[in-house]
Amino acid sequence: MRKIVTISAAIAAIMSGVMVLLLNIAVQEQASLNRTLAKQIHDDREAIRILSAEWNYLTTPRTLEDRSGQFLALMPLRAKQIVNTPATIPLRPRGQDVDTKGASSVVLSSADKPRKVKKNQRKGTAL
Amino acid sequence: MNALSTTVGPPAMSRRGPVSTGPNIPSLVGSEPQQRGMGIARSRLVFVVILFCAAFFVMAARTVELSLKKAEPMQVTKQHVTVPPVQFTRADILDRNGEVLATNLGTSSLYAYPARIRDPEEAARKLVSVLPNLSEGHLIQKLSASKGYIRLQQRLSPRQKWAVNALGIPAFEFAPDEERIYPHGRLAVHALGAVNYKNEGISGAERYFERRLSDAASTNQALRLSIDSRVQYALADELESAMRVFQAIGAAGVVMDVNTGEVIAMVSLPDFDPNTTRGVSGNQRFNRVTQGVYELGSVFKTFTLAAALDDGVVDFSDGYDASLPMKVGGYTIRDDHPKGRYLTVPEIYAYSSNIGTARMALDLGTEQQQRYLSDFGLLRAPDIELVEVGAPLFPARWRKTSTVTISYGHGISVSPLALVTGIASMVNGGRLLPATLIRNSEGWRQGKRVIAPDTSRKIRQLMRMVVTKGTGGRADAVGYRVGGKTGTAEKASNGGYDRKALISSFVGVYPMDDPQYVVFALLDEPKGTKATYGFSSGGWVAAPVVKNVILRTAPLLGVAPKTEDEGLYKNVALRIEE
Repeated sequence: MRKIVTISAAIAAIMSGVMVLLLNIAVQEQASLNRTLAKQIHDDREAIRILSAEWNYLTTPRTLEDRSGQFLALMPLRAKQIVNTPATIPLRPRGQDVDTKGASSVVLSSADKPRKVKKNQRKGTAL
Repeated sequence: MNALSTTVGPPAMSRRGPVSTGPNIPSLVGSEPQQRGMGIARSRLVFVVILFCAAFFVMAARTVELSLKKAEPMQVTKQHVTVPPVQFTRADILDRNGEVLATNLGTSSLYAYPARIRDPEEAARKLVSVLPNLSEGHLIQKLSASKGYIRLQQRLSPRQKWAVNALGIPAFEFAPDEERIYPHGRLAVHALGAVNYKNEGISGAERYFERRLSDAASTNQALRLSIDSRVQYALADELESAMRVFQAIGAAGVVMDVNTGEVIAMVSLPDFDPNTTRGVSGNQRFNRVTQGVYELGSVFKTFTLAAALDDGVVDFSDGYDASLPMKVGGYTIRDDHPKGRYLTVPEIYAYSSNIGTARMALDLGTEQQQRYLSDFGLLRAPDIELVEVGAPLFPARWRKTSTVTISYGHGISVSPLALVTGIASMVNGGRLLPATLIRNSEGWRQGKRVIAPDTSRKIRQLMRMVVTKGTGGRADAVGYRVGGKTGTAEKASNGGYDRKALISSFVGVYPMDDPQYVVFALLDEPKGTKATYGFSSGGWVAAPVVKNVILRTAPLLGVAPKTEDEGLYKNVALRIEE
């Protein structure tokens, strides 16, 4: 009986010792992971700083103007192109052959004739 | 315990030989001193057992307690891992929208231990092959030294650092270094300034805010300027092309928020790239907006009219005879756009009549003129967060001739910034707001009152008339209700004036029904072109710049184009005969 108690106590002691050791190792791993993450965050922040400087360098108004002139068919905005009040926006043309076949456009296709419009649906709603 | 029990057990089981000397067992167990010893041992043993039992009991009790108790949240705060902050020795500078105008980035400096180099010539040759800007002769001399630790080059790019490392010379070492980078290059260089090789501000905001930028406690907090890089670019771009077209030797421009005094854009040309300050001439460093003082000409008539209207000397219904040139103190005053007749007050302003303005100034009086100009901030250096500020030049003794010439902007030199600050106070209801380079998030500032709100309203009407009916027609950006005043002055030279060297300027304000921004453009010695019929006055060369800048930036600044309410100017328009 004594022997059983002694042996079981010894096993319990060894097991708990091993568990504590494992726990310790796990904690150390986590702590080291923590430190790695902290360092990574620091490095990333530094990289963000460099990237934001680079971004600002690559998107200066002068560069953007050059690029848009090179790649986009956009012209400088004119005062009369700016719409002040929603009232000046023209109504959407409906039921007319305003759209060529196959072309993509915001205007509804000519297939959408007024007779197909349901009665309770308002005609010519503003966009 | 086992060992102890064997000693108290029968001697036959004892493994310790020397004790069991003979078969006399009773004598062994029974001797009195031995029994006493056994008693002491037993009582000690019992004591230890009790102690252990108590300890086990405590542990058991604690285990039960822990298992019954609710789990407490772990205290993680003490194990908190702090991320090391990204530290730099100088704070960033941003524009009003958060665009980075100046930032510090990490670079490397190259050092060498000459004592570790066996063949200085070969090392020098190899190094020059990757860093061609170094001189081989110098390097050999430096690397031949027997001891020490010498710096060979600062600010190596990552690519250069890699190339030097690839040489595989162990005597070369790198030390972390910092470099001030201006991603926008030349943009806003005069407002922003530059730093020297020690990263200390040497001009502009970099110098003015040196302490704030290099303060270790606040290097993580960026300094936010009032400059808008998009507007700055539009102004610089327009001025540059005007300078090219009219072959001007210099140009200056300002955009200011009239309600806060914030400088949205500040351009002085020629300029330079703050990333490479080597070989930059004084002319490029010179800030024409704040440092340069110029006789700005007719733009000054705005102040004379404001003073006369505010003082009650004249009203819109009054007028002066401008049919003949006027003689004052030996000088003859003529009009640049002579009408040869009696002019009403709005006409004097719209047609920029020197004679009419001069007569008005004489009616106002020298003292009043001085008081008003001083109130408008034109007789002292303007307030702004820059070191490069020029004080105005005006006669120490203000005679009658001075009163007359100063009324139309000659005989007094002020910086464009002082002029713009003054014009802002003319149109914003009469509040003089010191110019600032720091962003104001409130959007409104209370300033010192210099003219009555009603006078300010009249000045707004007059300025609009200059553009719709007068000399500033080329500044009319359709939809944005621009008002303004042209200014053309001959440059002083050899005690007189050089008729061919002009300072042509235009100050515009928009939208005139609710002034938001002042736009000023100045060209130094522009030459007329075929398109301007040889003219190089403010209305021909500077007004289009203002117009283009307004067309380009008004949408960015949130000013919507609108059909004008003609009724606002009816009263003035009726008094201007075309």
